Amino acid sequence: MPKFEESYRVLRRSNDPEVRSLEAYRKAGGYAALDKALQEQTPDQVIQQVVDAKLRGRGGAGRLAGEKWRIVRQTADDQKYVICNAYDADTRSFAVRSMLEQNPHQVIEGVLLTAYAVGATEAYIFTRSSNGASTVILQQALQEALDAQLVGHDILNTDFSCTINVLGVDIGFMGGEETVQIAVIKGRRGMPEQRPPFPAQYGLWDKPTAINSVETLANVPVIIRDGAAAFASVGTAISGGTKVLTVYASPTSEPVVVEVPFGATLREILEHAGVSASEDATRAVVVGGAEGGALPLSLLDTPYDFDPLEEVGTIVGSGIIELLPLNTCMVSWAMDRNRVLEKETCGKCVPCRLGVKRITGLLEGIVSDLGVNGDLDVLDEFADYVPNGSLCGFGVQATNPLKTAKRYWPEHFTMHVQELQCPTGTCAPVRAHRFVTKHVLP
Amino acid sequence: MAISVRDNLSFVPQGSQPPLVRNEAGHPSFMITIDGKQMQAYEGQTILSVAEDNGIMDIPNLCNDEKLEPTSACRMCLVHIDGVDRPLPSCNTPAQPDMVVQTNSDELFHLRRTNLEMMLSDHNAYCQPPCQVECPTHIDIPGYLELIAKGEMKEAARVVKEVLPFPFILGLTCPAPCQKGCRRALVDEEIAICRMHGHAAEWNLLDPPVPYVQDPPTGKKVAVIGGGPAGLTAAYYLALKGHYCKIFDMQPQLGGMLRYGIPEYRLPKDMMDREIQHVFELGVDVQCNVKMGRDFEIDDLFEQGFDAVYLAIGCWTSNDLRVPGEDAEGVVNAIRYLGDKVEGKPVPVKEGMEVVVIGGGFTAFDCTRTSLRFGAKVHTMYRRGRTEMGATMEEVEDGEAEGTDLQLYVSQTQVMTKDGHVTGVEFQRNKLGEPDASGRRRPVPIPGSEFVLNCDTVIPAIGQAVDTKVIADNQGVKWTKWKTIQTNPHNFMTDRTGVFAGGDCQMGAQTIIEGVAQGKLGARSIHSFLMGEKMDDVARRLELEERRPDLFDIVPYKPVEPKVKMPMLPYEEREGNFELIEMGYLKEQAQREAGRCLQCACPAAGQCDLQKYSIEHGLADNRFHDGEPTDYHDYEVDLSHSFILRDPNKCINCTQCVRVCHDVIGPDCYGMFGKGFDTIVSTPFNVSLHDTDCVSCGACVQVCPTGSLMMAERNLSRYSFALDRCIFCGDCVEVCPHGALGETPNFELSFFNRFGEDISLEKDDLANAPNYLVRQRLPRGKKELPVMSPLVRPLPARSIRD
Repeated sequence: MPKFEESYRVLRRSNDPEVRSLEAYRKAGGYAALDKALQEQTPDQVIQQVVDAKLRGRGGAGRLAGEKWRIVRQTADDQKYVICNAYDADTRSFAVRSMLEQNPHQVIEGVLLTAYAVGATEAYIFTRSSNGASTVILQQALQEALDAQLVGHDILNTDFSCTINVLGVDIGFMGGEETVQIAVIKGRRGMPEQRPPFPAQYGLWDKPTAINSVETLANVPVIIRDGAAAFASVGTAISGGTKVLTVYASPTSEPVVVEVPFGATLREILEHAGVSASEDATRAVVVGGAEGGALPLSLLDTPYDFDPLEEVGTIVGSGIIELLPLNTCMVSWAMDRNRVLEKETCGKCVPCRLGVKRITGLLEGIVSDLGVNGDLDVLDEFADYVPNGSLCGFGVQATNPLKTAKRYWPEHFTMHVQELQCPTGTCAPVRAHRFVTKHVLP
Repeated sequence: MAISVRDNLSFVPQGSQPPLVRNEAGHPSFMITIDGKQMQAYEGQTILSVAEDNGIMDIPNLCNDEKLEPTSACRMCLVHIDGVDRPLPSCNTPAQPDMVVQTNSDELFHLRRTNLEMMLSDHNAYCQPPCQVECPTHIDIPGYLELIAKGEMKEAARVVKEVLPFPFILGLTCPAPCQKGCRRALVDEEIAICRMHGHAAEWNLLDPPVPYVQDPPTGKKVAVIGGGPAGLTAAYYLALKGHYCKIFDMQPQLGGMLRYGIPEYRLPKDMMDREIQHVFELGVDVQCNVKMGRDFEIDDLFEQGFDAVYLAIGCWTSNDLRVPGEDAEGVVNAIRYLGDKVEGKPVPVKEGMEVVVIGGGFTAFDCTRTSLRFGAKVHTMYRRGRTEMGATMEEVEDGEAEGTDLQLYVSQTQVMTKDGHVTGVEFQRNKLGEPDASGRRRPVPIPGSEFVLNCDTVIPAIGQAVDTKVIADNQGVKWTKWKTIQTNPHNFMTDRTGVFAGGDCQMGAQTIIEGVAQGKLGARSIHSFLMGEKMDDVARRLELEERRPDLFDIVPYKPVEPKVKMPMLPYEEREGNFELIEMGYLKEQAQREAGRCLQCACPAAGQCDLQKYSIEHGLADNRFHDGEPTDYHDYEVDLSHSFILRDPNKCINCTQCVRVCHDVIGPDCYGMFGKGFDTIVSTPFNVSLHDTDCVSCGACVQVCPTGSLMMAERNLSRYSFALDRCIFCGDCVEVCPHGALGETPNFELSFFNRFGEDISLEKDDLANAPNYLVRQRLPRGKKELPVMSPLVRPLPARSIRD
C-alpha cells in the first residue's frame, strides 16, 4: 500500500494550510523554486532535473516533459512560447479546477519555470470558461504575481521576462487537444493539425512551443525545490510523481478528487478514495474518461501507469475512474460513449467524423436487437480503422470503449445478436432500421 | 488535457541529422527512399511533393492542392514510414533525411477504400444514372423524366427521339433493361422509365417532334434492306443527316418483327404505323414485297447508284427442336403463326384445342398468350427455371394469370404422332447442372422421368436464326460461326466495303431496343463512311463512346414515394380479346411517376475525384444503406448565386474551397460550421453565397474535388471593360481560373488593345482570348472612347496632386 497521505504535491488536503493567496503560498515555500532556478541554475540544468525526475506528460501521452522542452530549447528561433493546457476536455474531470482553485500560484510558478527552461517570453494558460470560478481565481493569482513582479518584465530582478495570458474558451471536448489550442489562440476554428511537425518545433505562429498540461507544469516547482531524486522517490521506475484523479462510485455519484502516486493499483486507488467495488454490485471499472476503456474487476490489480493501462486497453486520458453498476449492458455503454464522441469530434478528418458515426449506428442496431453476426466483424474492422486513419489523438482513442467492451464482455454482444435480448434486460430499441449492403449495380 | 497520441514517432533532435548537401542550384538537399527508389528531397518539402517530383503520381488525395497549405483531412494520402506505427499523411509530413517510405500496401489500400466508403456513405448524391448506361441506346433518361414531370411532353419526346426514333413502340414492347438499374429501387421501387417515354410519344403521335434540324441533302444514297427496328432506325438517322434512303422489305408492310412477331394486344398496329410514318416524313423511300436473293442482289444496288448498303434482314427462321417427329402436321412455326394472326390468315389454333408451346423467351409467351386468346388450353414448357427465362417477369406472370399451364425444367424428347399428325409430346424432367457458356446453368435430364403431354398443336419457340440463303456467296459478305453476318464489332461494316449490317442478323435474335441501338450506331458509321472518314478511326471512336463507364453504388437518401401502377386490362376481359392490355397513364399520373426520378445524374461525373478514386479502389458496394434519417444529411441546394452552384450534399469537407477563398483569393466566403458528424462547409451564417463577399472568381469551383461546387451556365453574352481605368497590369490574366483572359504576344500591353476597338466582348471572343493577337492600337484620346453603361463608367479624372 503506497503512502497516499505523504504524496500530495499539487492538491491540498482539508487540513493543509490554504495557499490561494500569494502571501500564504510564499509562506509555504512558494516561488522559492523560481528564485533558485533563476539565481543558481541554467535552463539546461532545469531541463536535466525535470528529465531526471522522470516527469511524464500528465495529458496522457506520457512523454518525458524534459525531452520535449529540450527540443524547444534546441530549436533555433527568436521567439518561443509556452502553453499551459488547463482545459478539462471531459467535463466530468475535476482535476484542473481543483488544482486552479486550491493552488493557482503553483501553476503560475510551473509555467514560469518552463518558460525559463525553454527560453520563452510569452505563455498562455488555456482554461475552460465553463469552470468560471477557477478561471477567476487564476486571474486573481496572476494579478498578485504581476504586482509582485513575479510575472512580466525582469522577474525577481533578473533579466528573465515572461508574460502570461489567460484564455477562457468553451469549445467542447476537442478544446483539450494541443493543436486545437494553438489554432484557437491564432483565431482559427478549433481543429487539430497533423503531427509531425510537432509543436515543439513548429507550434504557435510556427514557432517552437512547449505545450504541457497544467498538472505537469504544477509539478515542476516541486522538482526544482526538492530535487529530482526526492520527486522520483514517489512513483514507478518509468513515471515519477503523482497523478490527480477524479473517482466516481457510479455514473451519477458525486466525484472524489484524489492525488495518487504512479504505480498504485486501481484497487488501492479506489480504497483511498473511499469507493468500494464488489463483484455483486459492480460490472466494470472505467479508466480514462469519455475515451477510456472499461475493465473487469479481475483487472483491479493493474498498476496505474501509462504502459500497464495501455496493455489492458485503456488510457490515462482525463484521469477519471468510474465504477459501472452490475446492471450495465456493455453494448449499450459503448453505444452511449460513441454517441457522445460522434458529437464531439471536430469533423475534420474522415475516419473520425464518419467512422465514429457509423460505429454508433452499428451499435444502435445491435442494442435494438437488429444486429447480425457480420456486424461484429465490421465493428472489429472499424475499431482498427478509426485509430489507424485518424488525424489526432481523439480519433486514435475514440474506439477504446468499443474495443474494451468487446474484449472483456464479448458475451454481451453475442447475446444481443444471437439471442436478440439484452444480457441485463436494460436495453430498449433505439432505431428501427439497421444498415444494409445493397449491391444492385452490375 | 485528455487528448493525446501515444505513438512512437520520436522528436528528431536536430543535431543528429547528417549534413545536408547542396544541389547545383544551391538548395540544401538530402536523399530519401520512396517505394525502394532513392530520390532527392529539399528541406521543407513534404513526402507527397517529393514523390510527385520523382514521378510517383499514384498517391491519392482529395484535400490537397499545390496552392494551399496541407490540411490532411481526407486521409487518402496516408503512407507507411519506417519506424512509425501509424500511417502518416504524405501531404503534411516533411521529408527527413534517410526516411524510408512505402506508398502502397494492402493495409493502405483498405484504409483508403474504407475512407472512400465512409465519404460515400454520407454523399447524398449520385454519379451517372445507371438507367442510361443500361439502356442500349443511352437515352437521356433523367432529362426526359424531368421534362415529363413538368408536363413538357413534346420536348420530352424530342429528347428521346435523339437516340430512339420510336418511343411509343418501345414504350409498349421494350423489356426495359433501364429499369433494372434504377436507383429509385434503393429507396422503394424502380420508376416506370420505359412506359414514360411511351406516354410522352403518345401525346405527339400525330405531330411528332424532329430531334434536330434535318441536314440539307448530301446527294448520297443508302439502301436499307429490311424494314424492321434496326433498318427503320438507320434510315431515320441517315435521313436526318441529309442522305437519301430507300428501304427494301420482303413483307407487304413495314415493321418487320414489330408487325409480324408481336401480337396486337401488346402493340396496336395502327398506332405503330403512325409512329413509323415519322420515318417517311423525313423523305425516306420504301419498296415492299421485294426479297434480297430472289429479286435483287447487293451488286444490283451498287449498280443502281447506291453509295452504301445497310443489311438489317433480321432472324426469320425458327430453330429446330431436333427431336423425332417434328416434321409432323400440327407442329407450327412460331413466327409464321404470329405473322398469320396479324395478317388475318387462318391459324392452326382454335377454341378448345390443346396447345404445347416450347420455350421461355418472348416469342414463346407471345405464342402462349395469343393461343390463350383463341380459347385454347395452353401448356408452356421450358427446360430451365424462372430466373433463366428470356421473357420478363411481368410477361411470365401475366401468361400464368391468363391461364397457361407453365411447366419448368422439362425437355422435349420426341413428338408423338399418329398418321402423320401430332398427338402429343414426350418430355423428360431436368435438374440444373454446371453453368454453360452463356452463364446459365445447363439443364441435365433425370433418367426415367419421362411423361407424355397430349395435344393437337405444338409450337416450338426456342429461338430464331438468320436465313443464310438470302445473301449469295459471291456478294462478298461473310458469315460468323453462329451464322450471323460478320462485321467489324464497332463500325458494323461487313467484309465488303460500303456494306454494313446490324440488328438481329448481325448479333443473333435480341430485343427490339438492341436492334434500335444497332440501327442508330449503324447510321452514324454509314454517315462517317459516306463523309469519307477512315473506318478504323470510326471504329475507335464508336468503341470509346460505347465503352461502359464504371458505376458504383452510393447511399441515396430520399423519402419513400410509392410507384404509380400502370392500369391494366383485367384478366377476365382478356380472353378472345386482342385489345392492348396496358391502358396507359393519365397525364397527371405520368407526371407524378416521372417526378419520382431521383435525377441521379451529376454534372461533375467524369471530373469528380471521389468518383475516380472510388472506381480505382473497386468500391462497388457500400455497407450503409437504409439507415435512419439521422444517419445521412439532406441539405438545401443553394442556386441563388449567378455563377456558382452549391450542393452541400456532395461536400466531403475537404476544405479546399475554404482555404483557396481565404488564403489565395481573399474574400473568405467559406468556413466549416457545426461540430461532430454534422460538420459542413458553408458560408458565414449559412447565407446564400450571393450575399457574401464573393467575387465570382470560381477558384472554389476549380479546386472542388466533387460536384459540390459547380459553375453555372452563364447567360451573359457581352462583357464590358472600363478600358480607361484598365492599367493593363495583367493581374486578371494571372488569376483567372478558367484561362478565359489572355495576353497578346507583345507584352507591351499599354499600347495595344487586346480586345479590338470595341470595349465589350462577345462570349466567344472571351473564350478565345488566350489566342488573341494584336489587331489595333489603343485609342489615344479619351474622346474616342465609346460611352459606357453607368455600372462601368470611370471615375472622374484626377491628377496626381488631387
